[in-house]
Amino acid sequence: MRTKSPHTDELLAQYRSLLPVYEKMAELIPERLKDFFAEAGIIVAAVEHRVKTESSLAGKLQLKGDKYQSIYDITDLVGIRVITFYNDDVDKVASVLERLFEIDWENSIDKRKVHEIDSFGYLSLHYICRIPESAYTHPEHPELNQIRFEVQMRTVLQHAWANMNHDTGYKSGVEIPRTYKRNLSRLAGILELVDDEFSRIRLELADYRRQVQNLVASGNLSEVQLDGDSFKSYLQIGPFDALMRQIAAINQAEIQPVDLSNFLPLFTEMGFQTLGDIDKLISDYAEAAYQIACFQIGLTDIDILSTSVAPQNLCTAYILKKGGGSFGLKWMLDTLNGPSEVNKEMAELLIEQTKDLPFLNQ
Amino acid sequence: MEININTQGNETVATLIGRLDTLEAQKMTGQFDKLAEKAGGTVILDCPQLEYISSSGLRLFLTLRKAATTKGGKVIVRGLSSDVRNVFMITGFLNLFEIQ
Repeated sequence: MRTKSPHTDELLAQYRSLLPVYEKMAELIPERLKDFFAEAGIIVAAVEHRVKTESSLAGKLQLKGDKYQSIYDITDLVGIRVITFYNDDVDKVASVLERLFEIDWENSIDKRKVHEIDSFGYLSLHYICRIPESAYTHPEHPELNQIRFEVQMRTVLQHAWANMNHDTGYKSGVEIPRTYKRNLSRLAGILELVDDEFSRIRLELADYRRQVQNLVASGNLSEVQLDGDSFKSYLQIGPFDALMRQIAAINQAEIQPVDLSNFLPLFTEMGFQTLGDIDKLISDYAEAAYQIACFQIGLTDIDILSTSVAPQNLCTAYILKKGGGSFGLKWMLDTLNGPSEVNKEMAELLIEQTKDLPFLNQ
Repeated sequence: MEININTQGNETVATLIGRLDTLEAQKMTGQFDKLAEKAGGTVILDCPQLEYISSSGLRLFLTLRKAATTKGGKVIVRGLSSDVRNVFMITGFLNLFEIQ
């Protein structure tokens, strides 16, 4: 491609000679970033990259080629975009970049802060970065540490808006009527609100989890509503462990830890509303659960048990004591293991195994 | 004890015949190792003819399940007899497998 300007031709020639380095950077930087995000526990929606095409660069130089002395003055030839789910994660991503790269603060811009108080529009944080020699050098490509690149950071919603605005906005070459521009601005305002709401909900959820963990730790279980989060926290304190050890001791069995979260729907269906209800189940029915285990495995040579035996036997005892019978036990097995006609047979077997146990006759 | 293994594409069916007691479980370790190699796909343990399972047999099932979890596959236990199903129930192993 040749243009009418020798200066532009010179810049394009420099671009072509550096293109393999740009492409290498565009490939490597996102990989490095993803590793660092994972280490920092930041979940991002996407990390995109692109190298500016020669025709796009030529277009840019045609408009403002005099602004650049050399190709190194152009900072967006390599572009990375990090898209987050939450707006407060944009700042976390930025702090990762600050640790990894040299930031050209003079040319970086926080477009989230440029709007007047009564205007809404493009929100994104743009950093112009350079790879410091202390972090990475390549003997064949010393220019790699000279090349600046742009990282744009924004949320999924900001990204959606920016794409829509891009399609209808300043680069389309057609003047957009005021009404549409206003509609886009209104939408930007709504999305800003939604982003803030997402972050607020996440913050409140984190607070709720901390409160639940504190209540569980302090033993105020009757104040904790039974739900997915609270049950998970509760399981972490090993509420069934003591009973499980007692049961395993019958045959000196190995205890195989398993995920007990599948008991939550069962406890919920049994009408339990707080963790205190489960705690009461354990204190009221541990002896009965132990009796069931003694009968079932006491005369066998079984020496491996999964941790689900303790809650399963507790629920068995509870249902039988409440008069649920084989129907109730089949329902329990259906809930725990998935509906199956064979569970009816298992339920009847359980009835047979437990019918003479002391807890049912007390 | 006998295990017949048949792989078609991503699915392996292992038909277990006889009693998987402690002694037989030791002998079957090699066969289960072969099944573990296939655990990136679906492994079906076909058990209508499995008459008995000991703790050692359960451990073989468990090791296979762990291999499947690591490799992103799954283990399905199919056609358990009443006696063997009872062992799965009282040991809490029913929760560990997809039972058909």
